[in-house]
Amino acid sequence: MNVDFSPELEAFRAEVAEFFATAPTPAIREAGRKTTSVFAPFKECMEWHNILFQKGWVAPHWPVEFGGTGWSVEQRFIFAEEYRKADLPPLLPQSLGMVGPLLIDLGTKEQQEKYLPGILNGDDFWAQGYSEPGAGSDLASLSCRAEPDGDDYIINGSKIWTTYAHHANRMFMLVRTSNEGKKQQGITFLLLDRMDYPGMEVRPIYGLDGFPEQCEVFFENVRVPQAGRVGEENEGWTVAKHLLKHERGGSAASPTLMRYSERARSAASQTPSPFGGMMADDPVFQSEIGALEASIASLSHMEKLAIAGHPISRDPAFPSMNKTINSEVLQDISTLMARLSGVDGLARQVEALRVGSNVEPLGSEFDLIAMPLYLNSRAASIYAGSNEVQRDLIARSVAMGA
Amino acid sequence: MEFAFSQEQDMLRDSVSRYLEKNYDFDTRQALVRSDDPWSQDVWTQFAELGLLALPFSEEKGGLGGSISDCVAFAESFGKHLVVEPYTYAIMLAGAALEASDTDLAGEWIEKLATGEAIAAFAYEEGAGTSTPDMIGTTAVATGDGYSLTGEKKLVIAGAEADALIVAARIGEDGPVGLLLVDKDAPGLTVSAYTTIDGRSAAKVRLDGVTVDAAGVLVEDASEALKGILASAIIVQSAEAVGAMGALMAITGEYSLTRKQFGKPIAMFQTVAHRLADMKIAYTKALSTLTYTTALANSGAATPRDISVLKGQIGKLGREIGEAAIQTHGGVGMTDELNVSHYHKRLLAYDAQLGDHSYHLRALGQL
Repeated sequence: MNVDFSPELEAFRAEVAEFFATAPTPAIREAGRKTTSVFAPFKECMEWHNILFQKGWVAPHWPVEFGGTGWSVEQRFIFAEEYRKADLPPLLPQSLGMVGPLLIDLGTKEQQEKYLPGILNGDDFWAQGYSEPGAGSDLASLSCRAEPDGDDYIINGSKIWTTYAHHANRMFMLVRTSNEGKKQQGITFLLLDRMDYPGMEVRPIYGLDGFPEQCEVFFENVRVPQAGRVGEENEGWTVAKHLLKHERGGSAASPTLMRYSERARSAASQTPSPFGGMMADDPVFQSEIGALEASIASLSHMEKLAIAGHPISRDPAFPSMNKTINSEVLQDISTLMARLSGVDGLARQVEALRVGSNVEPLGSEFDLIAMPLYLNSRAASIYAGSNEVQRDLIARSVAMGA
Repeated sequence: MEFAFSQEQDMLRDSVSRYLEKNYDFDTRQALVRSDDPWSQDVWTQFAELGLLALPFSEEKGGLGGSISDCVAFAESFGKHLVVEPYTYAIMLAGAALEASDTDLAGEWIEKLATGEAIAAFAYEEGAGTSTPDMIGTTAVATGDGYSLTGEKKLVIAGAEADALIVAARIGEDGPVGLLLVDKDAPGLTVSAYTTIDGRSAAKVRLDGVTVDAAGVLVEDASEALKGILASAIIVQSAEAVGAMGALMAITGEYSLTRKQFGKPIAMFQTVAHRLADMKIAYTKALSTLTYTTALANSGAATPRDISVLKGQIGKLGREIGEAAIQTHGGVGMTDELNVSHYHKRLLAYDAQLGDHSYHLRALGQL
């Protein structure tokens, strides 16, 4: 048992910091500072994705033979810490974090060769077509239908909460191919090569923060090749469950949360307290931010154990616990940020938040992002399986000793 | 002890509620927020005709001499309909500041406000730290027969549309906070308009050596007057918040019965059911505290402690209800299209304005 603090690691940190100080364009930096969601501004985010690809650092969590970096746990975290310190836009999770690892694990050789290069270099962006109007927490009740027809499937139905579908050129989705047996048994996992198949329509949904982050996708007799199926027909639920592990676990989210805490501390040092002095000196604020940072630290310990392959992370409930803690700490820190911002956070500043708008914010950059971040973060306990469903899964593992 | 509204109050409550039910549904409200108009002039005129604008002013100044409970009686429906008209800020704050003044000028402005002929804005909030008037940083430096004002007000509701601003400023270096009337065209005044997250028209106002002559000094030492002015506005705003909280609870309850997952309405799941129960507990606390505090204020007996209990509880409980409503709705609760998120943003704004819950609850602990 040990944690590596060797001088080589500090050299690695310096190398990463140097790259982050020089490689991103001003627009990419602006996008990073104006990110108020898990999903960074698309255009600049993909530009940055490609720069990281050129450097060979785009997918540290992938196996080396598929383009990963082969870094140690310490290096992974140093990379994530420096990334957040530089306020760079986080890469979008759907391609690199979900469908990519899934194809590495379960895709055919043809699928890997066809899709992984575009995922790595950022030429492709994949939307995730899971939820439907009638199938949210109860995902297995999905009804978007795919009928086999020769070498194709014909899809009818709709998907909702498909993040950035209006930016995507590909999509992975769950479809119903059978109504026989248990509802989990008639589901198939499909890869779609295009978002503009005839009969396919994408409609953005404006969120409470004023941004069109989510979408609805409608299918009317959309013909897609069966070659895009991952796993067997009617066995998509097993494939989806495998992918959920990537969506909910194996993360390095704690440096992002820690960076928000640092930004909160910095704002607090410039915000007067109604009880005199600055908020940073206020014992109530100190106790709140202290408790939050302790939670973030515990999450980072979990994440490090998981990346190192510790048995604790093989607990079937681990991804659910990771997701629950991560989402709730994000909500807590963003709540504290919005409260710190106070009335300065009440202005609706959608234009000032747009990258390249050159609209001066009414107040500080902190005041610009705190409220939208808080509002957007309300989704964290809803998406990727609501926290109610996660707690059901966790409880089951306790009660059944799994 | 009597906590019921009088017959007259019930009638007023009903007529305002009926008017808004008919003319202020959510779609109409959203169209208004998206338009270039800061609020509806028709609605404001109707408020004047219903007597709401004149209600809180004393009879000797041309008002109707209404009590705080008269205002609470109808304010709940303002919250239920998410009205964007600046009643609390133009009438309960700017108007009350004019009422606190003995000057002729104040009397003239009250007449114009009470008829809806003019709008006055209350330039008070300076951002973090204005939870209490003690923290006002805007200064009024004596010059000749008047004052020169310098400072910045971060959130002035109706600041860009107002014919006059009632500015809270510190008289001299360590002097008391005074209330001064600044004309909208005064040199040195910079008004930057914006829309708040909850759809109201607001402005950031900079004062760079704005001159106010002796006639414009409404109250030189407003330390005492401000306590009462803020307390009344907090009560009325809390009534609006309780109206919004009640609406959110009803909407969420209804949704939880119609939305089905795992083969049954989500209200049947214990984790959802318990959240609905917690929403009701929060709402009942809020309504009770509002009602009792209003009765205390009507009897002239509401202390700063009582006002902090109210503001702290409404802010905290309102957030809890808003967050619970969004969580229960899931994805649709996150959309701009559904009213749920708009209620939550209104409740967040109520919490942030005039001292948030963390300020008031801590102030309570210090008393």
